[in-house]
Amino acid sequence: MQQPAQEVMSTAEEQEKWLADAVALVQHNAFFMHRALDANNLRDALKYSAQMLSELRTSKLSPQKYYELYMRTFDELRMLEVFFKEESKRGRTNADLYELVQHAGNILPRLYLLCTVGSVYIKSKEAPAKDVLKDLVEMSRGVQHPIRGLFLRSYLSQISRDKLPDVGSEFEGEGGNVMDAVEFVLQNFTEMNKLWVRMQHQGPAREKEKREKERSELRELVGKNLHVLSQLEGVDLEMYKEVVLPRVLEQVVNCKDELAQYYLMDCIIQVFPDDFHLQTLETLLAACPQLQSTVDIKTVMSQLMERLSNYAASSPEVLPEFLQVEAFTKLSNAVVKVIEAQPDMPLVGAVSLHVALLTFILRVHIDRLDYVDQVLGGCVKKLEGKGKVKDNKATKQLVALLTAPLEKYNDVVTMLKLANYSKVMAHLDYETNKVMATVIIQSIMKNGTYITTADKVDALFELLRELIKDGEGLPAEEVDEEDFKEEQNLVARLVHMLVNPDPDEMFKILTTARKHFRQGGPRRLEYTLAPLVFSASKLVRSLQGREASEDSPVSLEKIFQFLHKTVEDLSMVPAPELALRLYLQCAEAASDCNMEPVAYEFFTQAFVIYEEEIADSKAQVTAIHLIIGTLQRTQVFGVENRDTLTHKATGYSAKLLKKPDQCRAVFACSHLFWVDDEGGVKDGERVLLCLKRALRIANAAQQMSSATRGSNGPITLFVEILNKYLYYYEKGNPQVTSNVIQGLLELIQTEMQSENTVQDPGVDAFFASTIRYIQYQKLKTDEVGERYAAIQT
Amino acid sequence: MSARKRTLLKVIILGDSGVGKTSLMNQYVNKKFTAQYKATIGADFLTKEVQVEDRLVTMQIWDTAGQERFQSLGVAFYRGADCCVLVYDVNVMKSFDNLENWRAEFLIQASPQDPENFPFVVLGNKVDVDGGNSRVVSEKKAKQWCTAHGNIPYFETSAKEDYNVDAAFQCIAKNALKNETEEEIYLPDTIDVTQNRPTKSSACEC
Ligand SMILES: Nc1nc2c(ncn2[C@@H]2O[C@H](COP(=O)(O)OP(=O)(O)OP(=O)(O)O)[C@@H](O)[C@H]2O)c(=O)[nH]1
Ligand SMILES: [Mg+2]
Repeated sequence: MQQPAQEVMSTAEEQEKWLADAVALVQHNAFFMHRALDANNLRDALKYSAQMLSELRTSKLSPQKYYELYMRTFDELRMLEVFFKEESKRGRTNADLYELVQHAGNILPRLYLLCTVGSVYIKSKEAPAKDVLKDLVEMSRGVQHPIRGLFLRSYLSQISRDKLPDVGSEFEGEGGNVMDAVEFVLQNFTEMNKLWVRMQHQGPAREKEKREKERSELRELVGKNLHVLSQLEGVDLEMYKEVVLPRVLEQVVNCKDELAQYYLMDCIIQVFPDDFHLQTLETLLAACPQLQSTVDIKTVMSQLMERLSNYAASSPEVLPEFLQVEAFTKLSNAVVKVIEAQPDMPLVGAVSLHVALLTFILRVHIDRLDYVDQVLGGCVKKLEGKGKVKDNKATKQLVALLTAPLEKYNDVVTMLKLANYSKVMAHLDYETNKVMATVIIQSIMKNGTYITTADKVDALFELLRELIKDGEGLPAEEVDEEDFKEEQNLVARLVHMLVNPDPDEMFKILTTARKHFRQGGPRRLEYTLAPLVFSASKLVRSLQGREASEDSPVSLEKIFQFLHKTVEDLSMVPAPELALRLYLQCAEAASDCNMEPVAYEFFTQAFVIYEEEIADSKAQVTAIHLIIGTLQRTQVFGVENRDTLTHKATGYSAKLLKKPDQCRAVFACSHLFWVDDEGGVKDGERVLLCLKRALRIANAAQQMSSATRGSNGPITLFVEILNKYLYYYEKGNPQVTSNVIQGLLELIQTEMQSENTVQDPGVDAFFASTIRYIQYQKLKTDEVGERYAAIQT
Repeated sequence: MSARKRTLLKVIILGDSGVGKTSLMNQYVNKKFTAQYKATIGADFLTKEVQVEDRLVTMQIWDTAGQERFQSLGVAFYRGADCCVLVYDVNVMKSFDNLENWRAEFLIQASPQDPENFPFVVLGNKVDVDGGNSRVVSEKKAKQWCTAHGNIPYFETSAKEDYNVDAAFQCIAKNALKNETEEEIYLPDTIDVTQNRPTKSSACEC
């Protein structure tokens, strides 16, 4: 049945032309057929219809073009069918007609006519449907050309569609039973599949591709039979299980054809209902490993699992059915078997099978974490020895595998229970691993998942290791600075989620976290240690004032040691400014806990950093003010320690680079000697010393600026100092007298009027409001008012 | 011929997979409904005798596969359709959005003589689901679409509850019958067929 090459190798144009020619002939013959029908001339009607049908004997047309031609004749045959019906009303028996059309010369037209009469014959019930159907399906064997045979059988299937002796059909009973209907369809299906499969062996090898394309187009004709089977009322679960499925699968497995196997499995899954699949899972799955090794079985099985997952999700009532048939175990075994049976299956295939299985569990067995872990474990096994996965598609599937449970449970802690989770994650390449780690942290933040034990922290940080330390897979090129910052900030935020109200466990959490962070190298420590310090400080606060119990493993001392060590690490990064700030914070915490030596030590460390690490003048200014502020709030120190520290603070203040900075720092130091709280230090003399020193510095600054001209900075300083004086005056510092203030007021006024001074509305306003303040205070009738009475403005 | 032709009405049902095309046809023709999904493969038709006004006609109802991979041979069966039924699921927005594509595709492939006036009917199916609480396409929205596309008749249906199915198909039949497109008239060159037949296309004996 080989065709000459030039006939098959045709262009689209040629196809159009051949189709047009054939259609013209169909129309021509149809015209005369109609005339014969109108004239009730059966003989001519048969003659012309046979001639018309002869056009379907062409071998030139592609399946789609052939289908167009087929549809033309199909429509015409409907007219003939109506005529046949009328003919039998006019007294001609259907048996007669059935005989008569057999005289058509060519087999193909003859069989089309037979089917058409057969349809009327069955309808008339003059013969049992099953007999006519059997006859027709047998006789169709006469056409062995694939395309012609497939369309002929498809015609048979189409005209018999509503005449099968199905349960509840009018043809049931005398016409046969559902078994006959099933046999008929199965036989037609089997024959069609054979024709379809055989097609690939016909024609020259070089046209294989084209043939595959044509075969692919023809597939719906074969699959349609399965649709017909599924629509039969009488095909209940029993019948499906005992007859339909085994017979169909037998054909699928035995045909050994990749295209057919893939397509028909797909059809079976889509065409038959969910509960049938569930109840015959074993049979269906057993076929999978028997398919050709090139069949894309992962897609087939994924579709099955997807379908069952949707079914499970559709209603909780169906879930017991899943348990009863042990669906998961069966699917899971089948996945293992298929992977074994197809050793060449690409990695992506194996992984996506696991994804499908996991999706199934998450819909059907949400409470079975052991199943989830089992699937992950299966995947790990497949990945064994493969190192980092490089294939993009497989990587995507791995990410899907890891993301699915995360999204379902919305709880990272649950993931930590899955022993295989981190093992799968370890196979992700560096970049993807980081992305996944980011996703995990985001899930924690979004869902407010607290990580409450040190063990969990350990497990979590193991998962996040690519973010927390430099892995082996580190790419040679520099990591983008912005990205790095963003990642580390995310890790830093994570620290707030590591909490436990029990101090012992909390302390363990902190030490565990630090253990991991310390492996991250200086670049990361800058981000990760600070939140640990905050967290530890919080722990200090929670223990503060609590009686230290003997058996408690955690003590304030230990936490402060932890803090000390942590900040020290940070200072070595180096990150001096941050370290200094944190030391001060620790000092304050220690002070609040009444631990003078500890607080003192923290201050000492802060000063060491100040001296050795902070060189930038602006940073120095900020640092010294921080130190002064903290020292002022720190009440724990005895005279001696306090003296040492304040002495240092004032000393450094006076040594700042710029005069105005010196001046401001020095008058700020005055507060170190005057703490307003009850029982606070009130050393008026040293306050005055500070203020005087500040004045001297301001004066010096004034002289320098007169030399350079045009700078009014110093006058502001004077006004600022004046305000400090007023503050202490008001607070009743005996060393600050109205005379001193009066002198300062005059000094400022003179300076402001000096011709060397550039007018500055800002300073003027500042001074004016200070004066207004004084006047306002003078109006008061209490002791403040009395004090102010001595000052003239 | 036209008399014979006119007793046969060809109707095509289109729409996304799962909207209920098969269910509607089965409900209308066989008065049956099954809750289970069974995909349709290829194109499949059922016939039903129906009385339209004073005439008894046979409706040939073509149900199609909504899943593209199950319609591999193309859509030659659109040819000669008298009415096209577009179905969507009132609970699935995408299925409504896709009506536009189904309609356009039909007009291109079937290329009816007068595309402007070709009869369509739109069915919004599954109105029963969840007592209407899960619906996402309002009746108003659907009707607007129908009006904008040349006053297409619109029905809200439930194949499950057999709601409005008969009414819809009655309307479908009526509109199909109104579709007065002439079959392309074929006139042979000569009546003498034996002499002037076009040459026969080649074929092997099989
Ligand atoms: N509740 C409800 N379910 C329906 C209705 N119509 C159909 N269904 C269900 O929806 C699912 C799909 O119905 P089908 O008729 O197979 O859909 P289809 O449009 O033919 O799908 P394809 O053949 O894939 O194109 C089945 O499970 C039906 O039982 C309805 O009116 N109400
Ligand atoms: Mg369908």
